[in-house]
Parts: sequence; structure tokens; C-alpha cells
Amino acid sequence: MINKTRLSEWGGLVLVWLAIVALFGLLAEHFLSAATFTTLAGRLPALAVIAAGMTLVVVSGGIDLSVGSVMALCGAVLGLAVTQWKWPLLAAVPLAILTGAAAGLTNGLLTAGLRIPSFLVTLGLLEVCRGLSYAVSGSRTLFIGAGIEPLARPLPFLGVPATVPAALLVVVTAQILLSKTVFGRHLVAIGTNENAVRLAGIDTRRAKVTVFLLSGALAGVAAVFAVARLGSADPNAGTGLELAAIAAVVIGGTSLAGGTGSVIGSLLGVLVIATLEAGLAQLGASEPLKRMVTGGVIIAAVAADGLRRRLSADRD
Amino acid sequence: MRRSASGWLWIVGALVLVGGCTKPPQEQPTADGKPAPPPKPAKPRVALVMKSLANEFFGTMAEGAKAHQAAAAGRYDLVVNGMRNETDVSEQVTLIEQMVARKVAAIVIAPADSKAVIPALKRAADAGVLVVNIDNRLDPAVLRETGLEAVFVGPDNREGARKAGEAVARQLSAGDGVALIEGIPTAFNSQQRSLGLEDAAMAAGLVIVDRQSGQWEMEKANAIAAAVLTEHPALKAILCANDSMALGAVAAVSAAGKSGQVLVSGFDNVPAVQPLLADGRLLVTVDQHGDRLAVEGIETALAILNQEKSPADRTTPVDLVEGQAAR
Amino acid sequence: MTGRSSSPGPQPIDHSGAARPGPMPAVIQVEGISKAYSVPVLSNVSLEVLAGEVHVLMGANGAGKSTLAAIIGGLNTADSGRILRHDRPLRARSRREAQSQGIVMVLQELNLIPTLSVAENLFLDCLPHSLGFVDRKTLHSRARRALARVGLDQLEVATPLGRLGIGQRQLVEIARALERKCELLILDEPTAALSVREVEILFANIRRLQALSVGILYITHRLDELPRIASRVSVLCDGRCVAEYAGGEVAHERLIRDMAGGVVERPSPSTARLAGPMLLSVEGISGGSRREALSLGVRAGEIVGLAGLVGAGRTELLRSIFGADRRQSGTVSVAGGPPIRPGSPRAAVAAGIGMLPEDRRHDGLLLSQSVRVNATLATLSRHSRHGWLDRRSERAAAEGICTRLDVRCAGIEQPVRRLSGGNQQKVVLGRWLDAGCRVLLCDEPTRGVDAAAKATIHARLRAFVADGGAVLLASGELSELRAVCDRVLVMAEGIFVAEFGGEWSDEEVTAAAFTRAFSAEGAGSDRLWEEGKQ
Ligand SMILES: Nc1ncnc2c1ncn2[C@@H]1O[C@H](COP(=O)(O)OP(=O)(O)OP(=O)(O)O)[C@@H](O)[C@H]1O
Ligand SMILES: [Mg+2]
Repeated sequence: MINKTRLSEWGGLVLVWLAIVALFGLLAEHFLSAATFTTLAGRLPALAVIAAGMTLVVVSGGIDLSVGSVMALCGAVLGLAVTQWKWPLLAAVPLAILTGAAAGLTNGLLTAGLRIPSFLVTLGLLEVCRGLSYAVSGSRTLFIGAGIEPLARPLPFLGVPATVPAALLVVVTAQILLSKTVFGRHLVAIGTNENAVRLAGIDTRRAKVTVFLLSGALAGVAAVFAVARLGSADPNAGTGLELAAIAAVVIGGTSLAGGTGSVIGSLLGVLVIATLEAGLAQLGASEPLKRMVTGGVIIAAVAADGLRRRLSADRD
Repeated sequence: MRRSASGWLWIVGALVLVGGCTKPPQEQPTADGKPAPPPKPAKPRVALVMKSLANEFFGTMAEGAKAHQAAAAGRYDLVVNGMRNETDVSEQVTLIEQMVARKVAAIVIAPADSKAVIPALKRAADAGVLVVNIDNRLDPAVLRETGLEAVFVGPDNREGARKAGEAVARQLSAGDGVALIEGIPTAFNSQQRSLGLEDAAMAAGLVIVDRQSGQWEMEKANAIAAAVLTEHPALKAILCANDSMALGAVAAVSAAGKSGQVLVSGFDNVPAVQPLLADGRLLVTVDQHGDRLAVEGIETALAILNQEKSPADRTTPVDLVEGQAAR
Repeated sequence: MTGRSSSPGPQPIDHSGAARPGPMPAVIQVEGISKAYSVPVLSNVSLEVLAGEVHVLMGANGAGKSTLAAIIGGLNTADSGRILRHDRPLRARSRREAQSQGIVMVLQELNLIPTLSVAENLFLDCLPHSLGFVDRKTLHSRARRALARVGLDQLEVATPLGRLGIGQRQLVEIARALERKCELLILDEPTAALSVREVEILFANIRRLQALSVGILYITHRLDELPRIASRVSVLCDGRCVAEYAGGEVAHERLIRDMAGGVVERPSPSTARLAGPMLLSVEGISGGSRREALSLGVRAGEIVGLAGLVGAGRTELLRSIFGADRRQSGTVSVAGGPPIRPGSPRAAVAAGIGMLPEDRRHDGLLLSQSVRVNATLATLSRHSRHGWLDRRSERAAAEGICTRLDVRCAGIEQPVRRLSGGNQQKVVLGRWLDAGCRVLLCDEPTRGVDAAAKATIHARLRAFVADGGAVLLASGELSELRAVCDRVLVMAEGIFVAEFGGEWSDEEVTAAAFTRAFSAEGAGSDRLWEEGKQ
């Protein structure tokens, strides 16, 4: 569904982002420097792939609250495989992603099979996976170090680590999946009116299970990115990440009611949130101020988007 | 229509969430996994009330206590409790009340908040329960006000942090800029560590150019460290209030290509930082012997109960652990 | 809350203006109303409704009838023009405000809350209460009285509204309007979902209101209703008022020509009716509230009609054949194939069955999505390769459906929500006519569709069976059943009570639909029509 309104939406978000960059450029001395943007580029991939999965789930009318915990669990599994079992990265990384996929599959089967609202199912999995993550890691931070750091090292010509193009690839693929495939169309349709889709003879359950599976697997991918950047696996990682991802998705123009949204928009939402975070940190803002400003910007962005939508709805 | 129905479910979901948080947590069985046996007057029951058992530091502490009890099972019974959320004071208050209801002889507590749990502890003391404070010191002013007498057994966080700060200062010269990454601002030990680091910086003439809270978390500390490194190119060191945050800071320093130029210090001496100490990316950390802490508290409680000892505060050792680069 | 909420009982009608002789005053005058979205929808429309008259508004789908009604009823605003009430300009910015001015409206699309009970829906805006608590006893007794007025006296007032079929919901909506004090009642296609008996009851109510000098603005597509209730007929065509006739005796051809804005093509009448081999076989199907198992067969080349009163079980039967609801027993098969897995619309579609649902908004349409997305929902596999959508073929299919069924829209990318009711219906129907099924289950296929389009749809259905398809069609309109069906099965209380082939009269069918109700002594007396209803 890439059409003119979508493009104008993305354009609007880019403007918002530029405004934030300009503002911090004025306020913080060294904000407009290459270092800021390489740091940002390093930080974006994990949140971006999580937001991509979340977008697909939200478009289909669901929500996945478990992503943060699933990410921590996958990170712990990755850390364990590398440090304790001495697995090579080539085997440990797929294992981490599979772990995420398994958690996602559980979410999907419970949601679609037992017809429990995804809010409740994933809320449950949020707790379960956090617990598993503590159990797997023995509540200990696992240091991996040199084994995984190459992933986070800047690539020779790009100046950014390999995780950045990888995340972009994920985002673009997810966008294409959403707008150009039958599966994506089914997600949009289910998010609009699941009953009508079922009565059109479409297997809504399969689509729903698949979308949660994807979201889980992408949380696994995010875990690999995050662990690579920090060189260690933190069983406490990703607390509250689901809320950041939902905020990014909503800022990106996806409706929490389902039925409409875009992955590229969510990427821009992630960009806005991460830039805000980086800028406030560079300003040395106090914790209370950080929280208030971040909350304010989320509300303002969503309100502005709602206003824009209403204005354009009045026109046709 | 479909929307409104699912909307209700969401509300119900949120209520369940809230309910889940306020529901008193299940007690942990004793060390051997069996429920505690019925009370025998001869054998005092000691309750260890911790912060989050998911936190590595408290996990270690609890394990130390369980091992101690297993080795001396004849002397006392142990009930270990932890909270789900480290900052949820009300949950810890509930735990205290439950322990009083179970008629324990002593409560050994690592307070989630240095002030807010005092009234509950005072009620416990009034009910005849001995209160021993470990880890995080209860606020003396409030203690005085309420008239609660609680023995403190624990490390001097400020002293430990000062040692770490001094070790960093030895590598720098007066006028160099350093940044502080603090824990949760409301936590007493976070405040103490910040004070200790400040003491050291002041004494050596270092300039604190930035201080922000990393909320004890690796990811958050990483983001802050990266931003601070950009904003202050001349920065010489990042002093962190715990090792998790130090790990995040080390990653940020490496990513900025400043390994060796910007020093990092931590606190807690967790296993994950050992490789970093060895290769010099982490300059120093501080060991406050967490595994011994709970045991010391329990020993103190038992000694007072058996009237072997009169109540008196005790400071447990804090030791500087120097990495490769510091030596 | 108005003072009414605490008064002892409902006082629905203003009795002060009881039938007076002489020329009646106008209850509302509409002067030069215009409204445009991307295109003009209403252009300079003027009309008036006198006290005690039934002013019927006709027009093709998308002519602007509902828009005009919504503007009068306070749900929409005009770009220009004015509305006079007792010679003073009316300013109503909401349905509630209009209601306080004595204007009550029954919308084309039902606006009730499915999770609340029938009683709560009836009095949602004026729940009887004391100290903030709902007074359930008063509420229920009032609700029972309101329902009795529309012939729903056997309906339990505490039933959640969501359990009701479309026809019953429509009656509840009407009952709700009848409970309001009003001088102008606007009814937007109230009979689209009703069958013979319910229409009679509605007309009786309308006549009663007329006698009380209430003015009525009545929108319909059913030409046969005109002679029975119309005092005046206005015709809208493309947003203009093109004709006005006094009285209801207007030649149908003339009206149809007015509505179409000129020439009308008559679809060629259906030709050869040859029944082929058995295509749809239903054996001993039961489930839901039906107590008895039903069996039926439809042959290739055949359209079988289902007649019955509202609540007779037609929709339930179609839904359980299709697998939309779980059934307890019985088998369904197509062309002698293996039984279709019950409870799975997907299996039914795979076997070649399609179903046009009764409730198009909830079971058929993705309201916020475009006409294209809606039209191709069931046929995506044809418009894709290896899971990749083929935008061009999809667009072509959607455009084809729009032309064939004359769907009036601003283009296939327009959200379906913005289409007029009749055009929405055409989109869902088009989806299934295009889906390549062999058996089509149609529940009120022409509900809300204008006269010309209805003829087109009937011709398409005949063509569908002429190509070897089979259709099972439920309709409350006997004229529709007569026009397209080869046989008609009459249902009452969930079972077949009669079958008519060849020639039949309305009276015969209606009588059959009632007989069962009166003869079924004992068996489920809870659903029996009340004795005095005769
Ligand atoms: N919100 C809207 N935005 C754009 N176009 C609209 C909107 N609402 C209605 N229209 C258009 O206005 C025209 C008139 O619609 P209206 O609902 O009044 O028709 P109608 O005469 O009631 O038709 P029907 O018999 O099918 O109910 C239609 O072409 C419809 O597409
Ligand atoms: Mg209409």
C-alpha cells in the first residue's frame, strides 16, 4: 500500500526527525558530528527489527508485549551457547533466532488456537520469557567479547557495522511482505475485520500464527544485534522495550486498531525515538526531564498524525 | 463493534497486569526445597528479605545464605524472599508483613528503599521480631524519628566507590574531565557510590563534566556513554555505579575507537567483567563480597538472639579489584 | 438526561396535534441544500414534509438519499442551503440535538450496540434510573411494551442484541425510534431487511403516527410499497430532485426512468430453466438454535429460494451450510464429492461454495479498505503468483466488478465506508459472483439495492446458474423470489414447512410461513407467535 498518502506520511516523519536533529544541533555542542550518527546507527538495528515485527502484528489487529523478554531470552541463549557450550557463532546465532521463533510460535498458537486476545497471551509470555532468561543465564550477565564483536565493528566502506544493512534489509523485506504479498494483504484484512476475512474463506489462523512467529524470530535477530554491540548478554535486557517499540510503531503511522500501517514508518519512528534519547543524553538531561520530554514527544507526534489524518479525511 | 469488544479485553488485561503486580509473591521454600517445618521454639526461624532475586548480586547473596543454612541446618531455619521488581517498595512491605505473620524470630533485610520500609519494620520490631539491616543502610534520621533499632551489617558503599575513584585518579592528572553513570537515583547505595566517586574526583582535582542515571542497566548506560563520549571529546574516564553499566560503557568506548584513552571503572566485581579486567578495558571494580553479606547478617542476628553479642553495627570489607591496566 | 428519564412511563407520541382538518402545516422545509465530497452529492435540493404525510424519497444507489436524510437528522452538515422548522432555521449539530427538536431518525446502517441487551439498546440515551442505578424493572417493562409495538413481543428483552438477526435488529431500531417523542420521523430503508409480516406491522405503525400528525420521510427502493403508504413521492437523481408526484399511484416505468436519469436498459428476461445434476446436497444438518435436522438439495441450473418470517432460521441455515457457525450434525457436499469439514468456511470455499452474508458490514466488508481490496478478497490466489500480488490483474478484476454491477464510486481506491449502502452491497456480491464458485448461498442479495440494479443482479444470478451453477437464495421479498427462483422453500421456526414450484401466490407462501407457527403446539412454545396476533 505504498501510495501518495504513505509517502507524505513518511515525508512528515523525516521532517519531524530533522527538526529534532536541528534542535539538538543548536543545544548540544557536538551533536552534529559523525560520531553521533555512527552511534545512532549502532543503536538502531535492534529496535528497528523489533519494531518491524511489531508493525506486522499490530497491522493484523494484535499486539506483542513479549518482545523485550524474548529478546533477553534469545540473548541469554546466545551467550550460553558461545561461552559455555563453545558453539561457533554460525550455529549459535541461528539457535538464538530459533528460540525467538519458538516463543513467537507459542504466542501465535495460543492467540489463534485458543482465541485468547494477544494482549493477554503475550503479557503472559513476557513474564515466562523473562523468567526463562534468568534461568538460562543464572541471572548473570554473560560476557562474550571477541567472539561476537566483529558483528558490531564498522564495515570498511560504510562506516557502520554490518548490523545496520542487515536491519535495513529486514525492514525493507517486511515492508514488501506487507504491501506486495498475499500474506500482507491477509494481515491488513484481518486487522480490519477478521470475521469478514474468515467468511471470505481465508485461513485467518495461519496468518496470525505466522505473524507472531515472525515477531518472535525478529526479537531473536534483535538479540543478536544487541549482544554484538555490547559484547555481553544481559538477562535484564529489553525491559520496557515493547513500549518503546509500540511507541515507534504508532509514531510511524500504524493504527493500534489494526488494518493500516507501514514498516518504513516504524523505522522512522525508531529513528525519532533513538535520536531523542541520544540528544537528551548528550545534553546531560536529568532523568525526570528525559522521561517527561520523551513522553511529550510521543504524544505530540501521535496527535499531529491524528490531526493530519482527520484533515485529509475531510477532504475526500 | 469488534473493536469495542476487544477494547474491553484490553482493559481487563491491564487490570490483570495491575493485579498481578500487587499480588503478594509466593514465598520461597527453604533451602532444601521443602516447605518450612512447623515452628520449633528451639530452632529460630530467620527471614531473609531481599530485593530482586533476578539481580545477580542478590542472587549470589541468597545462594550464600542457603549454603550457610544447609551447612548449619541444626541451628536455624531460613526463609528467603525476593521481589519481582527491584524498585517496588510496596511489594517488600508486604513481604515484611507476611514474615511477621509467620512469626519469624528475625528479619534480615536488604531494603528496597532506605526510608519507605521503616514503618513496616518498626511494626515488626514492636511485634518482637529482631531486625537486621544489610546491604543498603536505612536512613538514620528516619530511624531516629520512628525509634526503630536496627543493626546494620554491610559494606560502606561510599568508601568502596572512593577507592575505585582514587584508582582511576592515579592514572589521570588534575583538570581531566570524567563522567559519572549513576544507578537509580532514589536508591541509597547509588547515592553513596556517587558520593564516593565525587570524593575521589574532588580530592584529585578531576572535573565531573557529566552525570546521568543509567538505571543500573547495560543498554541504557551504553547509550549514555556513547552520547557523553561524543559531546565531550576530551573525556578521560567514565565512572560507573555498577558493573552492568560498566560493561555498557566499555562497549561504547570500544565503538568510539577510544579503548585505552578513556578509562572505565565499575562496582560489584561480577563474573562477566573478569575478561575485561584481564584485557585492561575495565580499569577497576569493587568487591563488596555479596555472597558473605547475607551470611554476616544472619550470623549477627543469631548472635543477638542467643545473647552472645550486644547489638552493634558492623561494616563488612570492601576491596578494590584492579585490572591489568591498573597494575 | 432529560426529565423524561425519571417519568413513570414512555410517552412516545405528542398527542396535541391529533388529526386536524384542512391543509397540514409543514413539519420541515428543506431549501436548496447542496453537499459535495470530492464530487457533488446533493445539488440544490428542496423538499418539504407536511404533518401527517408520508413523503417517500426514491433514487438510485448513491443518488444522495441517505446523505440528505443525515443532514436533516443532524448527523451531517450541508455545504449550503437551509432547513426550516416551523419557519425558523434549524440548527442541529448532532442526532441528539435533532431529537430534542422533534426529529427522529432510523439509519440505513444499524447503529446498535451488540454487547448490550435489547432493552438497554432501546433506551440507551434515557435509561430509567434512581440514584444512578439503572432501574431494571422499569427498563424491562418499558422495553417489552416497545417491542410489542413492532411485533417482537416474544423476544426476551434481556437478550444481548448481538444474538439477533438483521431483521430483528432493524425492528429494534424502529421500536427505539417509535418510543421517541417526535414530529418528523425519518426512515432510511426500514423494510430492506424485513419480510411481509414485519412490513405490515411497520405500516400499521406509520398509519398510526400519521393520524397523530407526525410527518414521515421514508426512503425505499421497493416500488410496490408506494401505493400502500405514500402521500407524496420525490425522486432524486445524481443529487438533484428530478420529480415529485402526489400520491403513491405512479407508474413504475416512469419512476425507474426518473431515477436512472433517462433511458433504462431492460435486462433480457431469463430464458431456459433446465435443472442439471445435484450440485449442493445438505443432509440432516442441525445446530445452533434449530432443533430439527434439515436436508435439501440444489441442482445445477437451479435457484432455490428460502422464504419465511424474520427469525425463521433462513440465515442460520445458510451460515451452517457454509460453516460460518459450528453445526452439531449433518453433512454438506458439492457435486457428490466428499463431505465438507464442518465449521470451516475455508473448506466450503475450497469445495466451491460462496456465501453472500446477510450482515454486510460485519461479515462481509472491510469498511476502511478500498473497493479494490474488498472486491478481490476472496480471489487473491487468482491475482497473485507464488504469494506475490499482481496489482494489475487485481485492479482489472475490481474495475470489472464495478462496471458489471454499476457500483457508483469515486474509483476503486475509494474506501468502501464512503460508498452508499446499496453500492456497498454490490461490492460484496460482486466479490462472490467473481470468485468462481459453483454454489452460491445468497442471504438477501439485493438488500438496499435500487430497482434497476436489482434487475441486473437477478439477470447475473440467472446467468450464473445457466453456466451450471446453483444458488440458494434467502429473501424477505416475495417479488424477488418470484422473479428469480425455480422453487421456493418456506421456513418457520427453523424447519421447512412448505415447498412451492412453478406458480404460487404471495398469500400461499405467507400462509405457510404462519401455519407452522400456529400448529406447532407444544414444540418450543417459547417462540410461538402470540395467539392474538392473527
Ligand atoms: N463521507 C463520504 N465521502 C465521500 N463520498 C461520500 C461520503 N458519503 C457518501 N458519499 C457519496 O455520496 C453519494 C451519495 O450517498 P448516499 O449514501 O446518500 O446514497 P443513497 O442515495 O442513500 O444510496 P443507497 O440507495 O445505496 O443507500 C455516494 O456516491 C457516496 O459514494
Ligand atoms: Mg442510503
